[in-house]
Amino acid sequence: MNRHRLAPLLALAALGIATAAPAQNGLRAVKTGAGLQELLQVDAPAWRSAPVTTVAMLPQSIIAPRVNKVGVSKLTVRAVHNQEWIAFHIEWPDPTRSDRIVVDNFGDQVAVELPVKPGKDAPPSPMMGNPGGRVTILQWRAAFQRDLDHGEPKVRDLYPFAHTDVYPDQVLRATDVRPYLGAIGLDNPISHPNRTPVLDQMAEGWGTMTVKPVQRAEGRGSWSRGRWQVVIAYPLAAGGDSDPRLKPGSETVAAFAVWEGEAREVGSRKAWSNWIPLRIE
Amino acid sequence: MAKVYNWQIGRDMEYPYEGVRPKKQFGMVMDLNKCIACQTCTVACKTTWTPGRGQEYMFWNNVETKPYGYYPLGWDVKILDELGVQEVGGKTYQGKTLFEAAREGEPVLGFLPNDLDYAHPNVGEDDSAGLMGQGAYLTGPHTQWMYYLPRICNHCTYPACLGSCPRQSIYKRPEDGIVLLDQARCRGYRECVKGCPYKKTFFNPMTRVSEKCIGCYPAVESGRQTQCTITCIGKIRLQGYIGTPTTAREDNPLDYIVHGAKIAKPLYPQFGLEPNVYYVPPVHVPPAFLVQMFGHGVPEAIAAYRKAADDKKLLGALLLFGSTPQIIHRYKVEGDRAIGYDEGGRELVRVPLREPIQVRAAYDGKYEAYRTNIT
Repeated sequence: MNRHRLAPLLALAALGIATAAPAQNGLRAVKTGAGLQELLQVDAPAWRSAPVTTVAMLPQSIIAPRVNKVGVSKLTVRAVHNQEWIAFHIEWPDPTRSDRIVVDNFGDQVAVELPVKPGKDAPPSPMMGNPGGRVTILQWRAAFQRDLDHGEPKVRDLYPFAHTDVYPDQVLRATDVRPYLGAIGLDNPISHPNRTPVLDQMAEGWGTMTVKPVQRAEGRGSWSRGRWQVVIAYPLAAGGDSDPRLKPGSETVAAFAVWEGEAREVGSRKAWSNWIPLRIE
Repeated sequence: MAKVYNWQIGRDMEYPYEGVRPKKQFGMVMDLNKCIACQTCTVACKTTWTPGRGQEYMFWNNVETKPYGYYPLGWDVKILDELGVQEVGGKTYQGKTLFEAAREGEPVLGFLPNDLDYAHPNVGEDDSAGLMGQGAYLTGPHTQWMYYLPRICNHCTYPACLGSCPRQSIYKRPEDGIVLLDQARCRGYRECVKGCPYKKTFFNPMTRVSEKCIGCYPAVESGRQTQCTITCIGKIRLQGYIGTPTTAREDNPLDYIVHGAKIAKPLYPQFGLEPNVYYVPPVHVPPAFLVQMFGHGVPEAIAAYRKAADDKKLLGALLLFGSTPQIIHRYKVEGDRAIGYDEGGRELVRVPLREPIQVRAAYDGKYEAYRTNIT
């Protein structure tokens, strides 16, 4: 069974998205003396002096399922580096904090995309890369942030009147209970408890998003008075073959995606940006 | 979209993928005239597959009362309403399938149920279609009626869950046609929950990914029928493999019931998924309702079912229901016995076409007692 992908690819080419040189004013990751823990504070002084770039967000209208309008139309982005970490501070208005996940509730999310091979010329497709054009996607999730801040929800937290007599994990040995744990039993990174609210992932086109075996990203998000502020940090030190090489003094590109949970944006139902030049000073 | 042939609607239709039929297709027949909604199947499935955290609300197998029972609430009337009035009834369906009626930018027409829609799995239980008037008496079809509809995943030939998943986390096994959702690959987008018109994919809020009926594949792989089938005390189910009209074998009991005698029909064939669970329609329900739910040929199916006693081959196939926990691949009727065989041709079960009856005297002289039940 082969998916009919040709038409969307042609549409993308017709829009000139994959091949166009990045046109928007660039991001500058300025040097800072602040350490990682300080940068992970969304209101740290280091962020106040960082230059601000406004990123226009577009509806993902190329591949199904598509959206015609988006919940978030622009992001305010700052970037800094401290010789060890590059960090992005992303801010957007959102009157609804969506971090409780049940069947009809979706979470707020934001992501930074970086090409694995650096450089601002001929980058991969900004829409999750393309075959042979691998990208890293660092995705912060409000639900993960809530897990870290308040603990993972129990069934009774989501459904206060839930009643169950016994669960398999209450009567079986740990070695026997894995089949009863669904995706958690298979260590699905979406289900598994995380140390950080940011998933370090790679992709080579639509439907190929893969969480990397080694997680290198850090981050923190905070919602206050109708506004999300999120920091996503990534080490400058060389990682594996699927990790972007980011060096002070170099230039590359970055792109962004944002999901408004209240509008049931999830997966490809999202707002995305084209590549933006990123200069690591 | 690709063009695929759907024999249940008698024509080609659009589907997001090329049509490839599995080597064998998991199938099930349920006789709705025999279901009493005891929910033994529901509990068997629940205790086997969904006792975990986040699965509290989940019933991969459920039994609901029709016309007013739903799990989740309004699952079928909502999608029928979205699809709008369509022409049903002929061998070739003239209306639109859910794939053909998809909105711009969507692979299939669907809706995401609300969380609370799952909160009352037995809503409408035993509610009949209307109130009985003063002086009403029994006619056929009944003026007021209800019946029980047991449901599992239909392991469709053209699954909408599979067609909806942007990550290809759902796949149809080539060896038996069972549709599975990869628990390691799913990212919980809920496109499948939205896309499946039967609402048989479920979101687990603890694992944050979706889950579905697995057709008891560990049992099926070892030649055993599903839990919901073998625990059914009313013996309403037969699970095995189902062919198409062109590949059907007369000695396969499912094929004979569906393609030979044509007494069992798919659930909402107009949706276009080619579901592989077949229902013997309840004989007491007005045909107009049944045609909407089970497609064309319902009155003929009911007429043939009523005469099953005259068709030894059909009677034999029906009596194999609940006769063995093993999957019956072949059967034959020999004298007054129906005999079921496994894939290797070994005899699994031998059932009489008629229960032996012994009539005893109403008065037992030895015990000086009158019997109230003499057969």
